[in-house]
Amino acid sequence: MSIGIEPPTKKMKMILEDGDFIMKTIDKCIEDIDNSKNNLEPVLGDDFGETLQLVKVFVGITKDPKDLSKIVTTLNEKVPLKQLQHLKRVRKKKVILCPASYIIGASSIQQFIESTVMELQDSFQYFKEMDVPLTAPRLQKQFKEYNKIWSCNFHPNAYLEKLTSGDFFNSVDLNNHRTYMKMAFEVSRWYIQHSNIINSIDDVYKNINGAIVVDPTIQSVVAVSFDNRENNPIQHSAMLAIDNVAKTQNGGVWFETDYKSNEKLSVSDELLTYLKLKFPSVKFGSREYISKRDSATDECSKNSNDGPYLCTGYYVYLIREPCFMCSMALVHARAKRIFFCLDNIYFGALKSKTKLQTKSSLNHHFEVFTGFL
Amino acid sequence: MVDFMKRALELASEALDAQEVPVGCVFTIGNTIVAESRNCVNVTRNPTRHAEINCIDFILEHCKANNIDYNTYFTNISVYVTVEPCIMCAAALQNLKVKEVVYGCANDRFGGKTVLDVSEFYVQYYELRGNLLAAEAMALLKQFYKGTNPNAPESKVRKKKDN
Repeated sequence: MSIGIEPPTKKMKMILEDGDFIMKTIDKCIEDIDNSKNNLEPVLGDDFGETLQLVKVFVGITKDPKDLSKIVTTLNEKVPLKQLQHLKRVRKKKVILCPASYIIGASSIQQFIESTVMELQDSFQYFKEMDVPLTAPRLQKQFKEYNKIWSCNFHPNAYLEKLTSGDFFNSVDLNNHRTYMKMAFEVSRWYIQHSNIINSIDDVYKNINGAIVVDPTIQSVVAVSFDNRENNPIQHSAMLAIDNVAKTQNGGVWFETDYKSNEKLSVSDELLTYLKLKFPSVKFGSREYISKRDSATDECSKNSNDGPYLCTGYYVYLIREPCFMCSMALVHARAKRIFFCLDNIYFGALKSKTKLQTKSSLNHHFEVFTGFL
Repeated sequence: MVDFMKRALELASEALDAQEVPVGCVFTIGNTIVAESRNCVNVTRNPTRHAEINCIDFILEHCKANNIDYNTYFTNISVYVTVEPCIMCAAALQNLKVKEVVYGCANDRFGGKTVLDVSEFYVQYYELRGNLLAAEAMALLKQFYKGTNPNAPESKVRKKKDN
């Protein structure tokens, strides 16, 4: 009979060791966040990158500089630069005629000028192909580099300069961000200790992801969540966090039946007690939710401060870079800033595989920060 | 096939009546509808409650209640949705390895193909076809966007104009 009992005992021992390993990993991450000396890094589009992207254009070298103004007016009218508006048309005696891609097949730039802007066919000594910056300079240092190649239009932006300075957050802000990130790890610890997911511990370790949603206007934690994809493949931590925020606004669809939940925060009382013990200085709870229907009846409040709407203005802290589904969910939720600790090299959509926050066609763009470790 | 999309359009109309973005969706296996839903983001205050996500949750519940392995179940599902799935839904459907997705009109704001081709990031991806009763799907969307979303906060631009 003892044979029947043996395997579970063995399994239990293995689980405990694995569980111990996870706890140690969580301890290590929290320790590393505490010891980190670096400021957080924004995850920006490729146009902020170190490598300058170039595009080939044809330029004409003018015979008489006095003609320049007439040449530019004519070209701007007949051959507008469209995507290359950031480039000045003229640099000394050189004038940008068109992107090299306009000249197709065997035709030459000479033929292009003759057919498109006939009045300029005798204005140039010769033509040549040149590489010029593909995108507009966004930062002062890029502007300097780009100008060595071709003159560009540039509007300095103090916010972007600060964002990329390596010194964006002051020490108080940094301390807050690190505290909330550590809390995401503590939430994970609590869930791992309190749920049955321990029997697939390998997957938990791979997928371990907790989320903390913060309302920075009142410096208060609005929602927390822990990945539950073991039970429901779309219940990743960000998806759950968004639903938990909805619960603070008289909404939400996913309800945990196992735990008695605190409505204002949408978190079990037991977990809340644990977090308050670990983080005595952190505030919990959302601003009062004002539904549109309620506020419409009350004339006075109509123009006063609106209540929270989805995750508008909120900061979301995730242990792991969100996947495509979660990243887009956070766009839909209109979160203001996303902070993550670990890269998700397989499905990360904010840094590793793509940068959803730089897709200009989307209707909402959040800022993304990483570099906690 | 057309009948499935017609049912999805009915659901989209229901959404419009409920002042939700009019998108409807049915999940089918063979000739049978196994899940159907519509967008309900406003009433739930949860912007991820798209028609497809609701259907996914319905199937998961069904599988759980009947002890069915959802992984296998999803691979037999064809999705009919009135508007091209957004990046979030496309990723969710990729993850679940559904068989195919047929949509009505393209989604040039959020489309999981049009705005960002999510299939590029998955090894095995579903077959995606569009333009089935697209005009009908688009007409519903136009009707919705003519009005304003009653749950969205007043835009700053509009406030200024009023003052």
